Amino acid sequence: MKKLAISFVLTLLVTVGLFAQVDRSKLPASGPAPEIKIKEAETFTLANGLKVFVVNNTKLPRVAFTLVLERDPILEGDKAGMTGFVGEMMMGGTANRTKDQLDQEIDFIGASLSASSTSLFASSLKKHQDKVLELMADVLYNPTFPQEELDKLKKQSLTGLAQSKDNPQAISSRLAAAVLYGKNHPYGEIETEASINNITVEDIKKYYQTYFKPNIAYLAIVGDMSKAEAEKVVNEYFGKWQGAEVPKFTYPVPERASKRAVALVDRSSSVQSVINVTQPVQMKIGDPDYISSRLLNQILGGGSASRLFMNLREDKGYTYGAYSSIGSDKLVAAISATASVRTEVTDSAVYEFIYEINNLVENGVTQEELDKAKAELSGSFGRSLEQPSTVASFALNIDRYNLPKDYYATYLQKLNSYTVEDINATAKRLIEPDKFIITTVGNGAEIKEKLEQFGEVTMYDNMGFPAKEITMEDESMTAEKVVENYIKAIGGEENARAIQAVKMKLEAEIGGQKLGISMTYNDPEMRYSQSTSVSGMVMQTAVLKDGKGTASAQGQTIEMTSEQVDGQLFSSFFIPELYVFEKGYTAKLDGVQDVDGTVAYKVMFSSPQGATSVNYYAVDSGLKVKNENAVAGDTYFLDYQRKNGVLIPMSQTIKLAMVPMPLEAKVISLEINPPLTEGDFQ
Amino acid sequence: MRKLIALGLLVGVLNTPVLAQKNIEFKEFTLDNGLHVIMHQDNSTPIVVTSVLYHVGSKNENPERTGFAHFFEHLMFEGSENIERGQYMNIIQSRGGTLNAYTSNDITYYYELLPSNELELALYMESERMLHSKVDITGVETQREVVKEERRQRYENQPYGTILPETLVRAYSEHPYRWAPIGSMDHLNAATIEEFQQFYKDFYVPNNATLTIAGDIDYATTESLVRKYFTEIPKGSKEIYRPNVIEPKKVAEIRDVIYDNIQIPAVIQAYNLPPRNHPDSYALSMLSTYLTGGNSSLMTKELVDKQQKALVIAAIPLELEDGGIFIMYGITNMGVEPKDLETEVDKLIKQVQDQGISDEEFAKLKNQMENAIVSGNSTIAGIAENLAEAKVIYGDTQYINQVMDYYSKVTKEDIQRVAKEYLDLNGRVVLYYLPKSAQSATE
Repeated sequence: MKKLAISFVLTLLVTVGLFAQVDRSKLPASGPAPEIKIKEAETFTLANGLKVFVVNNTKLPRVAFTLVLERDPILEGDKAGMTGFVGEMMMGGTANRTKDQLDQEIDFIGASLSASSTSLFASSLKKHQDKVLELMADVLYNPTFPQEELDKLKKQSLTGLAQSKDNPQAISSRLAAAVLYGKNHPYGEIETEASINNITVEDIKKYYQTYFKPNIAYLAIVGDMSKAEAEKVVNEYFGKWQGAEVPKFTYPVPERASKRAVALVDRSSSVQSVINVTQPVQMKIGDPDYISSRLLNQILGGGSASRLFMNLREDKGYTYGAYSSIGSDKLVAAISATASVRTEVTDSAVYEFIYEINNLVENGVTQEELDKAKAELSGSFGRSLEQPSTVASFALNIDRYNLPKDYYATYLQKLNSYTVEDINATAKRLIEPDKFIITTVGNGAEIKEKLEQFGEVTMYDNMGFPAKEITMEDESMTAEKVVENYIKAIGGEENARAIQAVKMKLEAEIGGQKLGISMTYNDPEMRYSQSTSVSGMVMQTAVLKDGKGTASAQGQTIEMTSEQVDGQLFSSFFIPELYVFEKGYTAKLDGVQDVDGTVAYKVMFSSPQGATSVNYYAVDSGLKVKNENAVAGDTYFLDYQRKNGVLIPMSQTIKLAMVPMPLEAKVISLEINPPLTEGDFQ
Repeated sequence: MRKLIALGLLVGVLNTPVLAQKNIEFKEFTLDNGLHVIMHQDNSTPIVVTSVLYHVGSKNENPERTGFAHFFEHLMFEGSENIERGQYMNIIQSRGGTLNAYTSNDITYYYELLPSNELELALYMESERMLHSKVDITGVETQREVVKEERRQRYENQPYGTILPETLVRAYSEHPYRWAPIGSMDHLNAATIEEFQQFYKDFYVPNNATLTIAGDIDYATTESLVRKYFTEIPKGSKEIYRPNVIEPKKVAEIRDVIYDNIQIPAVIQAYNLPPRNHPDSYALSMLSTYLTGGNSSLMTKELVDKQQKALVIAAIPLELEDGGIFIMYGITNMGVEPKDLETEVDKLIKQVQDQGISDEEFAKLKNQMENAIVSGNSTIAGIAENLAEAKVIYGDTQYINQVMDYYSKVTKEDIQRVAKEYLDLNGRVVLYYLPKSAQSATE
């Protein structure tokens, strides 16, 4: 009884003691570090050279197969973008299955199957394993590469490219690639409309036949599968895959700039500048500086507690986020420090980037920073092990980079052994603060001069090519002379004025449908009508006459405001240059510019009410090459042919804000001075 | 498919006879102050996730003070009596962890993922947040600025970013679901510090919270640590405010045009859904997969691949406690009129309503479902979230192991029936998102 009572009191005491222990003023200490066990992948190699890694994990009844090709990077040249199509083309149908059948069979078992130019990935529940392997093998061995699939992919790709030309982030990454590696390096070349249009089914077939070979392939199997079972299924599905010699390539190592410089893309609509302070670096997994470079980067700009973030965002408020990275790659990678900042603080932000980089290299890091970086990176290493695929990628890396077998088993040990001195030495070895290129995409008029303090400023276009510097050679040129030359070039005023009325039909293709534009002009009377149709169905019409305008779309008709009429007026003339001056327009010459490779005079026409229209006239031929209109979009005039003694463009490329793809419109019918009725303008 | 993945994450895996998959095992208990605690042990990786689900979302807000729940998700990282301002994240990160939080119309969810020897730290941090978070002027003003930036980045500057708020405001006339969690900046600016402090007292109380710990843990040690840090937190003194508003059934279509900073038009349709725990939710989720889940799904195949009228098409049931919305959006292909795409979408909806789906398609759906549900519990973070939602939304933690059963009950006929019943053209919202340039051209 007494014993019981004592133990009861003890229990009470313990309970009370526990509560008393809650000292909230101090953070709880860490418990003893858990042992991090890294499972090893099992491995075997087939006679055809295919190396297989198996990570058996039966937690979930799933299995995933990842096939990876290890080849040298390829310089695609005038077919840049080709490798980007290979994967989807392989998924575009096989000798046994159309694309529809393939899609249906994949979805039917709730599986995933995807391909790229250097990989094939399949995963499913364990019970559907045979089916998913059958589909994967079919895609690997029997793709048919249908032409219509390539046509579809090209269209999507061109749409994406058109959109990316106005996307500051996309422009910035193209610019960085160009200045880091050069356009003649696999990592520096970019896809253009021309290179995409240049890609054929044959190119893709040839690529597939050359590179999809077992002797350069790894197969990682992760999930519910033992090694014994893996040997059986791999032999069954991949045993007969024939090997062949695969070409190898080497490339000159891109050099760093000899001194600090600025590369600028002028994007005049920008309110933010996208800054990237960058230089190439030789760094790959397994390099003696690899792990220390992770720690170094973590301190400089690896996260929301790093120096760049604390300085540029938390302290200065220049940006929503500033980060850095030190890449790693077999060939060549980059050191980058990036942020998007308000236009006004562009130069101040660049100054802080340079300060932080210099300070890091000159004065090094602190013990506290290093300890924190180690904890962050160890933590993320530990978390990554929850995914069984991490173990497979470790095994793959050990083979690809010739790492010691225990490289990942001892990774945390190595990570934690680095001292402040080690990190400082790595910083000095890897980073050359005076050899950075500062790429900037932003409003040139606002920032160009301010950036000159950091080095010579070179201008680039939105595709990463050096911008053409053009100066007007003929200083005596005026807007009136440009217009005069234009009238002369098309056949003279007499011939031009003889064209009193025109009926013209243009046709373009968008999204597989025919877009038709019909126009009726009656310049001396200032009458104009237009109708747009898709696949023969009239979508919208517009009429301008008697100084008024109406527009109809989808059954609704609206009266244009006088402002809208004013804005449309210039484009309602077949040859506006003959008539607008009588209407009180003025014209101003605004230098010369490069219009898709043609040097042209830029002339700005302004109506008395304030509407403007910008037109470009080729310096050499005198012909009009482009019209810019805020509402109607940009129109390029091509393929001038002589009709009734006057040169008329028989083809137009129209770029509309609403339509991401340029429309290639061809004149399919042209009537000059046809009889007109009132009905033509209703 | 998206929906399926989300659903898998939300509700978890169940034992099926075919798969003979293990149940998700867990232990749970409730403290005297009302805090419900769920533990799940999985020692395969030495990491632990600690999460707290507060049963408060934008629907619990005062209509004159929208955005509070989401604002708190920011404010709750400001620190506590013992954690200095701005140090919350730093402390977790410097112990090798990562953390995050989100707010929905129904709940606010916080979690930390740490090495398993840092469990006590995680419990301490969450208990500090629940016991005495800093709710002061400095914190409120700092976070107002951050939330402004977030609005800019995620809504105003993001193409199509306003789809959710613009849809909700039209899909509901009475229910507080009519505003999105981001709420109104004006309301946040107008609110006094006392109002923020009251919100904390009302909703950040143990009897409105569910603490879930999953990963490399020992049940007994974990329970004693939980008691150590959470026992002293006082229970809330008031009943938790939960709106009791029945949204009237809409009888007429609502149609509008939104001009946005976009290049390509989009068509949005939204249909009101039954409450999340309604038996029809499973059939509706399968219907969304039938329509747009995977390359071979009805709408993806027909509208993206064949007709090429849409660049993307997706049907997502946004499931909410009091009844969410079935939202469909399609982005038009080059030069395709929104009207044209909408007509085709409607034709396909009518096809399902009139003809139902084939046996083969139904078998496919079941397989897709099974794969998604099995894959949904592949991480301990996912399991913790599913456990907490099972308890809070479905009323029983064991629900995590019953999801597959509910799906198995759905028949082919159910899918046609819910298509007819819920995808009612007369009660829907239709929005056209058009480029701003189109506005200046027609107005």
